[in-house]
Amino acid sequence: MTSTAPTPEATDVRLRRSRLRPSDRVRTGLGGLASRPGRTLLTALGIAIGIASMVTVVGISSSSKADLLAELDELGTNLLQVRPGQSLFGDSATLPPDADAMVRRVATVEDTAGIISIPGDVQRNDHEDEPNGLGIVATDGRVNDTLGLTARTGRVLGSSEQHLPVVVLGSLAAERLGIDDLTGGPTITLGDDRYQVIGILDSHPLHPDLDRSVMIGEAWAKQRYGIDPNHSAIYVRVAKDRVEVTRPLLARTSNPAAPNEVEVSRPSDALEAQTKVDDNLQNLLLALGGVALLVGGVGIANIMVISVIERRAEIGLRRALGASRGHIRSQFVIESAALSTLGGALGIALGVGATAAYASSQGWTLSVPAAALGGGVLAALAIGALAGLYPAAKAARLDPADAVRPHA
Amino acid sequence: MTPPVIELRGVVRTYPGEPPVRALDGVDLRIDTGEMVAIVGPSGSGKSTLLNVMGTLDRPTEGSVLIDGVDTRRLAERHLCGLRATRLGFIFQSFHLLESARVIDNVANGLLYQGVSRRERERRAQRALDLVGLGDRGTTKPPKLSGGQRQRVAIARAIVAEPSLILADEPTGNLDSRTSDDVLGLLDRLNTELGATIAIITHDHEVAERVPRRIAVHDGRVSELVGATA
Ligand SMILES: Nc1ncnc2c1ncn2[C@@H]1O[C@H](COP(=O)(O)OP(=O)(O)O)[C@@H](O)[C@H]1O
Ligand SMILES: [Mg+2]
Repeated sequence: MTSTAPTPEATDVRLRRSRLRPSDRVRTGLGGLASRPGRTLLTALGIAIGIASMVTVVGISSSSKADLLAELDELGTNLLQVRPGQSLFGDSATLPPDADAMVRRVATVEDTAGIISIPGDVQRNDHEDEPNGLGIVATDGRVNDTLGLTARTGRVLGSSEQHLPVVVLGSLAAERLGIDDLTGGPTITLGDDRYQVIGILDSHPLHPDLDRSVMIGEAWAKQRYGIDPNHSAIYVRVAKDRVEVTRPLLARTSNPAAPNEVEVSRPSDALEAQTKVDDNLQNLLLALGGVALLVGGVGIANIMVISVIERRAEIGLRRALGASRGHIRSQFVIESAALSTLGGALGIALGVGATAAYASSQGWTLSVPAAALGGGVLAALAIGALAGLYPAAKAARLDPADAVRPHA
Repeated sequence: MTPPVIELRGVVRTYPGEPPVRALDGVDLRIDTGEMVAIVGPSGSGKSTLLNVMGTLDRPTEGSVLIDGVDTRRLAERHLCGLRATRLGFIFQSFHLLESARVIDNVANGLLYQGVSRRERERRAQRALDLVGLGDRGTTKPPKLSGGQRQRVAIARAIVAEPSLILADEPTGNLDSRTSDDVLGLLDRLNTELGATIAIITHDHEVAERVPRRIAVHDGRVSELVGATA
């Protein structure tokens, strides 16, 4: 045979590589999915469930938190509470009678209101004597504004009713006393005295103590029961953003003689702590969603491996048409990533739907962080690409000569 | 002088095993531009192995394969693939069509790995379909086609890139004799009218007799069959 040296033309051939346009790369990757819609949907379902559960967890928690935080903000992260603590000897201390007035004089303080606890039983009728855990507090009416108290039915205890034997019930107190509304002019007894109920308060999550109390006028209480004038709690509304500087001042101001016998707290902290507890639960649920995603990813890898085995003839054909190993690999990685992303999109739709349904059942406004949506899609994409790596490598490694042979 | 379209020099292909199979046992072969060659031989004689080696889907254990004068031993994978994309067209016994893709897309895939734009692929695919007499079936999907039509689609795909060499491995193996005649007639026409260089494997002597040059494969060795009758 004659030996032929490479001609210039042949040198060009040597430099020619097989080449797949980016748009065709994507198209080939998606083609495999479109040709098996049923399987595609079923396989995507695993990822969909994982993403849906995570979006739902994040969405519900975010919606509820958004609601709570909005409420907190309204109720006041700028509200402080001053209470008597304990003396050095462990006795319960008292606040000086002028503590309220002193505190109100602090420049950053906008408003104060004191309440006085009165010992005694609260009953619907005087012949009942089961303990019900309800307390009596006397207020001078300022507490309505300072705490933003509102009545669910009837009215709050106004300053004009200070001298009358009338009472306003906290929400929980009303429930325990079995008073749902004011029809028929319900009354209750405090000690030996009968009081007309003129209002039932809304629930005030920042002040569970008040929910559990009945309120009477301070003036009436002093006149009828001769209570001492020491406040059992003073609520202090502070100028926004001045809470941190004001807080340390309050103990000394309210009881200069014994500041260590004063407890200053911020009621909203307790509620915020509750949302922290929710975080733990949320993390647990997120972890479960993560496990679902992992399982979904393994499912995709599985189906892709099966797909590669079934499609060996297609792979062989593509190699014969000039596809490189890299082209085959990218086709299957893209297919896997697309499959998973489809699941992710489906999961987001499901998750947002579930969150919306739950939020509306709770009367919340829907709030799903955009990061959760974007993160969901990205996570699905990454999982799919990762799950596709092994099957894609398997496909790329197929011997093209073997793959084009008719197989049994 | 232009080099032969393909030249095999001392090609050996051994499949490992107990004992190893020497599927090609020192093959020298040369096919020039415009030739149409039939490769005949009994089952298991090494015909498919020969075709796969010629098509660079398989690499010889020993010896060399030159395509358009280029020694494929020295080519990197990506250039071998480029060679297949531009210089070689394959036709298989079982058609190897993508069942869920339209006929025109199946044909256009013959240009996919050359980086040709979609519009250009479709334009040329339509021309190739016209050439094989299926110009009006572009939007059909393969399951709607008869065996003969499917093989014509595969032929259109093999010629769409205007390769230097078309390799057909028992293209009529799945067809009845009348359809076989049609398909063979088509390949004949491509050779005589368009000057396509074609190598066809067949173990059908009737088919082989219609082809001017015949090569026999026996136990991995090739021999030229001279004369009009086998
Ligand atoms: N991938 C393989 N591994 C091992 N042996 C093979 C393989 N492919 C083909 N063979 C063997 O090589 C010989 C030639 O096979 P083949 O080229 O397919 O012949 P033909 O196409 O003429 O029927 C046969 O003995 C066959 O069993
Ligand atoms: Mg064979």
